[in-house]
Amino acid sequence: MPARTLALLLALALDCLAAPQVALAHSGDGYGGGFVAGVTHPILGWDHVAAMVAVGLWGAFLGAPAIWILPVVFPLVMAFGAVLGILGIPVPAVETGIALSAVVLGLMIVFAVRPPLWVAAVIVGAFAIFHGYAHGTELPATVNAFAYAVGFVISTGLLHLIGIAFGLLVKWPAGRLAVRGAGGVISLAGVAFLTGAV
Amino acid sequence: MTPLLRVGAAALAVALCAGPAMAHAPIPGIKGFYIGALHPFSTPPQALMMLGAGLLVAGHAVYRAKFFFAGFALTSLLGLFTGQPPAWLDTAMYAAAALVCALAALLPGRVLPGATLLTALCGLLIGMASVPDPGPARDMAFTMSGALFGANLGLLYIWGGTLFLKERIPQDWLAIGLRILAAWIGAIALLMLALAYAPAA
Repeated sequence: MPARTLALLLALALDCLAAPQVALAHSGDGYGGGFVAGVTHPILGWDHVAAMVAVGLWGAFLGAPAIWILPVVFPLVMAFGAVLGILGIPVPAVETGIALSAVVLGLMIVFAVRPPLWVAAVIVGAFAIFHGYAHGTELPATVNAFAYAVGFVISTGLLHLIGIAFGLLVKWPAGRLAVRGAGGVISLAGVAFLTGAV
Repeated sequence: MTPLLRVGAAALAVALCAGPAMAHAPIPGIKGFYIGALHPFSTPPQALMMLGAGLLVAGHAVYRAKFFFAGFALTSLLGLFTGQPPAWLDTAMYAAAALVCALAALLPGRVLPGATLLTALCGLLIGMASVPDPGPARDMAFTMSGALFGANLGLLYIWGGTLFLKERIPQDWLAIGLRILAAWIGAIALLMLALAYAPAA
């Protein structure tokens, strides 16, 4: 074995031996143990997934600066919606708003709607309140709040990034078709959520 | 230094890093000045606020940094002399973190007076949070000077690290990524702020 490889392996072994002993497989808090609960919460609801991905797709479809304005606006406004939910301030028709977000954002992508940036931001922000509200009211009582919040925000952001990454295909004609098709699928899923078919 | 040695040195550094971070006993055997120096990053509200302040300052032109650092240094010193931390301090730090992050994400490099005031507010709060438990005056002085050093050096490093990244990676996506990072940190701070006021809390 070459000396360089041996030295590298030794260094890595030293790492493993001396690394902090805080990572435990079973934290004692079960599935709702903070970070994992926060990460899984947004991705276990298909209505949320559809809308989050749609935000990224639409942003990529609109191009700069929307590609980054929408993912910047969404988490902040969604957190504001979560504040309303956590504090118990009533917001009407939350589930309808969430389903409508998939329908509307999907249609925006299908028809390649390009409104002024502030209009796009207002549309996305308005729907973000419904999503944040639902997440806020569903916060498990037993979890570590900080770890949950970190996981929740990261998970939501990564869903946007998935949408943006897929949306970058619009640079090519076939990709443009694929992105608009994805918008159609999201919109149809939204209709299914709205009518209770799913 | 060869690449292999660099890898080894980095691995050694990681291997020797500390275990779990706790608010008042980060590393057994380290006291006084060093406890104070670590304190500004020892709890979630402080860490979020420091990160947010660093990103806010880094969003502005370099020649403006003197305003931010002067304000932060003065108010962090002032905060150290406000007595024992009040009960509402954590929620105030989450609120400040949410504000600085929102400004860093939505209006980077703009609203200089507001950004300066917010950074100064962060300094005041971090100073208030770093007041040591009552004890001999000499020990308290050591810990407080460490806190002042740690907070200001921490802000300097976040700012400098961000500038270094911007210099090394001139692509647009880095600036966008920093704004998204600020938005995420702000969202976390906002959630924690709401949880502090939740009816069940």
